[in-house]
Amino acid sequence: MTTTIIWTIAILTILGAALAIVLYFVAEKFKVEEDPRIDEVEAVLPGANCGGCGQAGCRAFAQFCVESSPNLDKCFCPVGGNDGMQKVAAVLGVEVAAKEPQVAVVRCNGSCENRPRTNEYGGYQSCRVKAALYSGDTGCSFGCLGCGDCVAACQFGAISMDPETGLPVVDEEKCTACGACVKACPKNIIELRNKGRRNMRVFVSCVNKDKGAAARKACKAACIGCGKCAKACPFEAITVENNLAYIDFTKCKLCKKCVAECPTGAIHAVNFPVVKPKVTEE
Amino acid sequence: MEKLLVSPSPHLHTKTSTKSLMRDVVIALLPAVVVSVLFYGWSELLVLGVSVASCVLLEYLITKYLLKGTCTIGDWSAVITGVLLALNLPATTPWWVVFIGAVFAIGVAKMTFGGLGQNLFNPAIAGRVFLLISFPTYMTDWTKPQGFIGNAVTDAYTGATPLGLVSEGGAGAVEGMDYMNMLFLNIGGSAGELSAVALLVGFVYLLARKVIRPYITLSIWATVAVFSGIFWLINPAEFTDPLFNLLTGGLLLGSIFMATDYVTSPMSNWGGVVFGVGIGLITMLIRYFGAYPEGVSFAILIMNSVVPLLNKWFHTKKYGR
Amino acid sequence: MLKTFSIGGIHPNDSKISAGCAIEVLPLPSKVYISVAQHLGAPANPVVAVGDKVKAGQVIAEPAGFISAYVHSSVSGTVKSIGPRKDLAGNNMTHIEIDVEGDEWADGIDLSDTLVTAIPEDNKEILDKIKMCGVVGLGGATFPAHVKLCPPPGKKADCLILNGAECEPYLTSDYRIMLERSKEIVVGAAIMKQVLGGCPAVIGIEENKPEAIKVMTAAVAELQASAKGYDGISVMPLKKKYPQGGEKQLIDAVMKRQVKSMGLPIDVGAVVQNVATSLAVYEAVQKNMPLVTNVLTVTGDCLPMENQHNYKFRIGMPLSYIAEHAGGIPEEAAKIISGGPMMGKAIANLDAATVKGSSSLLYLTAAQTVRGVESACIRCGKCAEACPMGLEPFLLQKYARNNMTDELEENAVQDCIECGCCLYSCPANIPLLDIIRIAKGDVIRIIRTRK
Repeated sequence: MTTTIIWTIAILTILGAALAIVLYFVAEKFKVEEDPRIDEVEAVLPGANCGGCGQAGCRAFAQFCVESSPNLDKCFCPVGGNDGMQKVAAVLGVEVAAKEPQVAVVRCNGSCENRPRTNEYGGYQSCRVKAALYSGDTGCSFGCLGCGDCVAACQFGAISMDPETGLPVVDEEKCTACGACVKACPKNIIELRNKGRRNMRVFVSCVNKDKGAAARKACKAACIGCGKCAKACPFEAITVENNLAYIDFTKCKLCKKCVAECPTGAIHAVNFPVVKPKVTEE
Repeated sequence: MEKLLVSPSPHLHTKTSTKSLMRDVVIALLPAVVVSVLFYGWSELLVLGVSVASCVLLEYLITKYLLKGTCTIGDWSAVITGVLLALNLPATTPWWVVFIGAVFAIGVAKMTFGGLGQNLFNPAIAGRVFLLISFPTYMTDWTKPQGFIGNAVTDAYTGATPLGLVSEGGAGAVEGMDYMNMLFLNIGGSAGELSAVALLVGFVYLLARKVIRPYITLSIWATVAVFSGIFWLINPAEFTDPLFNLLTGGLLLGSIFMATDYVTSPMSNWGGVVFGVGIGLITMLIRYFGAYPEGVSFAILIMNSVVPLLNKWFHTKKYGR
Repeated sequence: MLKTFSIGGIHPNDSKISAGCAIEVLPLPSKVYISVAQHLGAPANPVVAVGDKVKAGQVIAEPAGFISAYVHSSVSGTVKSIGPRKDLAGNNMTHIEIDVEGDEWADGIDLSDTLVTAIPEDNKEILDKIKMCGVVGLGGATFPAHVKLCPPPGKKADCLILNGAECEPYLTSDYRIMLERSKEIVVGAAIMKQVLGGCPAVIGIEENKPEAIKVMTAAVAELQASAKGYDGISVMPLKKKYPQGGEKQLIDAVMKRQVKSMGLPIDVGAVVQNVATSLAVYEAVQKNMPLVTNVLTVTGDCLPMENQHNYKFRIGMPLSYIAEHAGGIPEEAAKIISGGPMMGKAIANLDAATVKGSSSLLYLTAAQTVRGVESACIRCGKCAEACPMGLEPFLLQKYARNNMTDELEENAVQDCIECGCCLYSCPANIPLLDIIRIAKGDVIRIIRTRK
């Protein structure tokens, strides 16, 4: 009995040791020479493998950073943001310029109330399938199709569909501006915009390029391309092209003059402090 | 007409649904069920009832409370598993053994893989083999309980299946066995082995309704016939003849209803043929040289495990390629 | 044993309810809206201006490239506007709006019924006429006909196949023209056959249309007996199976040849044209009549028999005008389809105008057309059994959902003809074709960029 146990232990130990030695030599032989900095850079990356940087994953991005060092202008990890890039730069011993943090913005306000449904979609619930088939179940052939391809594309759980409006909502806390939703949206409704001072933003929440009357007929909240906002803007940040206004976020100074001018309420101002009505002194 | 419905083409759909396909399989099993109940009486009815009820109930409980997904008992697949499991068991099996078989079949073989469409092994066979290994005494007790018909004819062979007899006493043990008897009302064995004709009626029904394609079943039969034919011609004293092998040991039940299970069989016709040949070969190897008297269940389980490979190797013939 | 294609196929109920309804001519509406994109390829460029007076049959838009086609006015009147209008899918497309005034035709168009059997000898002149009259394939794809009739250098046509299969359920427009315009179709076939260098011509008709087989055979025999240039034309009855009318399937059925992946029919010596195209060729070459009319079926199970029609319409008539004229839309109709129920398009916008390729207004009830709830794939293989291209839709949809383009290409997603057999036959209601169609587009784009 005892001998059996001793033999078993002995044989297994020898076997294990022998295999370990074999493994060691095999690993040595097939070792791939890699720049050790790649590992170091990868270690400071978020590890989301989202592809938001344009590379296949975090490791590919790390390699890209090491290769393009010392000039990191083309490298930006949207998930890690400026802090993350500072860390990468520190590892590589170079300087990197800070980029404006961005956030995904849904440019459609065609809720069920604003944009009445004109037909019923009965196919596979995918925006791509729906967009390939026809203009959508409303009179607006530019707006959100509401099947949630962006929700599925987001790896950070930052987008969800609002069941009341049928439109996607971006959670600004979770959004890393990786751009996956921008690519997933067949209607190009989602745009990455600068987060702005104290998270305040002004943007046109519409992408309808139909003429004013047609756009207005399809959706109460459509941009009708009237150009009032462009005239009101003191900073020339607003352009109107193809019956659609666009606010350049690099020029916008958040004065909100356009918001008041817009006849359909298509221009949205978000995260501004609520202005309390001034109490007249008695 | 409220609002126009818009969807991609095609705009028409077949009336065949998962539910109707599964229901057809249950209908095809009915002749065998009727024969077995008539022959084995109340105890068979109890086995059937416990098996079907526990399979359906377990699927309901697991999908609803464990997986918290959509409940899938409406598609009849659990009913099929229940009926097939019951037909694979001796009529004398105690109800709690049947229940354990159902737990293994639905709970382990089907649901742990993700439910209908995902399981690698046929749930009914997995359940049956689990019971065969766990409770060999119950699973090989072929005493015939009091049935509604045929109580007189069976005295001579009580307590053993034809294959069991062969396993113990060689081919000579079943000499003079009446094939006509085997065709219509076999003696001894599990409920599903009773009547070849009842099973064949089901086979014809499945083919006529286009529920299954014949390739798997026919290639199993052909392989069994050829393999046993060769051995029988060489040594008829030791090896049983092809017809005997085709009609006994649940081969018909297995080849018609269990090997053709959509989920656990190859998708292409040629894959099906290879799958069938494999089942036939393994069955006969077990029968002739193995320790168990019959091997259809094991053969199907083994071949189930190579289905993903067969699906990878065998594809449909493509147009213009 | 009747011929048919060798792989897959399904047998939906053929429901040819309107088969007995003779072709009626629709009266002119007060306005027509003529789209500049009525063909496969680049939309045509309008060559008229607002306020211009036009005659029926006059060119109003010119082709904008090699694969493009002329568009003619279908009515006489004044151009009211040129601008975006929603097509039947609700997308904006340039339409030319014409106020109808009288019914005056452009010069040189022969409006008589006389059958002209003598075929012009100059092939170039014939092709020019086909091109100038804006003839496109009327079998569904609306590919410009003259392009198909000019095989690329080094390729020779061995057989002209006329597609009279009309394998789509419900549609009867081709059937009616085969019955009522049989000789014109045969003349058209003889013209195309001559252009292609005198190859034989086969008119394939499915067995569920015995009357059409009889009439067409008689027409061929009569013309062969009375005029020159009609040898080598024959009628071939085919077994009923969908999608017999698919180009690749028809070639397989008639010639026992299979077009290679990403190849063209001419690679195996085949040219396929619809019988309606043949009629349009006849009208263009023998009568100088541009393609401004076509025949359309108004049908559906929920439509009373007296409201079932086969109409000869002018292109640009709004669909709603035709529906109204046919007795209104039945209350039970949940979906209206332009084209057959297997490959046709569901109409999102009934105000859309008819185009050259419009072939039906088909009313389906909710019970017929609403898809069941998707459930798990049970790996029954029915989709693979049904696929006429021998593909494995269950596999393709799995790869497509995971964006595995290499595997998709390996498994020939680019060969999909979008016939709908897989989605039709899936017992689990998996939206196979919806998903595969998108993947096919992606893979074809990848293949093209690689070249």
